[in-house]
Amino acid sequence: MIALNKFFVEPTEHEIEKASNSYLMSLIALMAGLPFPIINLLATLIFYLGNRKGTYFVRWHCTQALLSQLSLLFVNSYGFWWTISIIFTTEKISNHYIAYMLTAFVFNVFEMIATIYTAIHTRKGKHIEWWCYGNITNAICKP
Amino acid sequence: MKNIFLQISLLVILFFSVLGVLNQVDWLQLFRVEKITTSTEKKLGDLFWDLYHSSKDEIKNDSVHRIMDSLLTHICSSNQIDKKSIKLHIVKSAEVNAFALPNQHLVINTALIDSCKNESELCGVIGHEMAHMQHDHVMKKLIKEIGLSLLISITTGNAGAEKINEVIKLLTSSAYDRKLEKQADITAVDYLEKSTINPANFANFLARLGQKETTSSQYLSWINTHPDSKERAKYILEHCNKMAVKAKPVLADSSFSQLKKLLQ
Repeated sequence: MIALNKFFVEPTEHEIEKASNSYLMSLIALMAGLPFPIINLLATLIFYLGNRKGTYFVRWHCTQALLSQLSLLFVNSYGFWWTISIIFTTEKISNHYIAYMLTAFVFNVFEMIATIYTAIHTRKGKHIEWWCYGNITNAICKP
Repeated sequence: MKNIFLQISLLVILFFSVLGVLNQVDWLQLFRVEKITTSTEKKLGDLFWDLYHSSKDEIKNDSVHRIMDSLLTHICSSNQIDKKSIKLHIVKSAEVNAFALPNQHLVINTALIDSCKNESELCGVIGHEMAHMQHDHVMKKLIKEIGLSLLISITTGNAGAEKINEVIKLLTSSAYDRKLEKQADITAVDYLEKSTINPANFANFLARLGQKETTSSQYLSWINTHPDSKERAKYILEHCNKMAVKAKPVLADSSFSQLKKLLQ
């Protein structure tokens, strides 16, 4: 799921720190905005926009962090509005609801573990490519 | 590029596969969600009814209960509703009011029965309150306005008497939000139609009380707390016009007038 690849240029200390921060950004936002799925995306989006003119290594990792948040946005938003409808409307807690929330939780946990792992290794200067997300990032983020 | 689409598809399939597997589990039973909800609702319903009952005079007359039971049984059996779960209470009061308490307690004031011109009008009100119970509006409203933690503290005896009285007042004197009221009205129309009772009479009842509302409305709680009775009458008529109902009487000819006499 996570591949440790060699980046074609050796990143500098400053680049490594910024790239690692892009993952940390989503983690901090995850802690602050857990019930509000849009917050995580906004945090990584702001960080991405702030670094879109940065070096390739920084841009690449900001893009991968952003993409991972984007896919979870749909999953979490659906769960969020479902929960709101249970609280405020006639919608009831059902087996489908619990199954969906558990699925969303499992995917969020995997994403969080992957984010922490990537943030640590990126800080060490290693280039981590996620399965699927790494390929999409390679396709949209050019040197 | 082909590889990316394949990977995205695999990710989506993985998500739905996990969801599909987890969907096979009966989580409600596993987490005892229904058991906890049912036991809380039962405790709340019995507690609220006991407290409300202590300050009111309940009608225990067998003949009254027999007639009211006939109406309730007819609606329940026509709509596959478990009649045994509904606890019908008729309370002596000058206030035109009917309401549902948690755990299927259905309370109808004598003044409301008296203001009905025929059995269909009364069945309309019963159907409306039953719809609130069937759609779980009572607990929804309580959780929304009171909060689950306070409700649980009431069941464990940790809430003050003042707070409990406040909750009873909320249940007996204020309506549900507009959307829930409309849902209850429409469901009541469906109940009536399945019970071969003309729902137009329910609309007439609302329209008639709606007119009284503008003059003297001190005792018209059921109408005062259910806004826009004319509008409600209108959409009830619109809904019931779509289906032709061959109305059949539920009670024997004299039973309804006998019921009114017994309550006087």
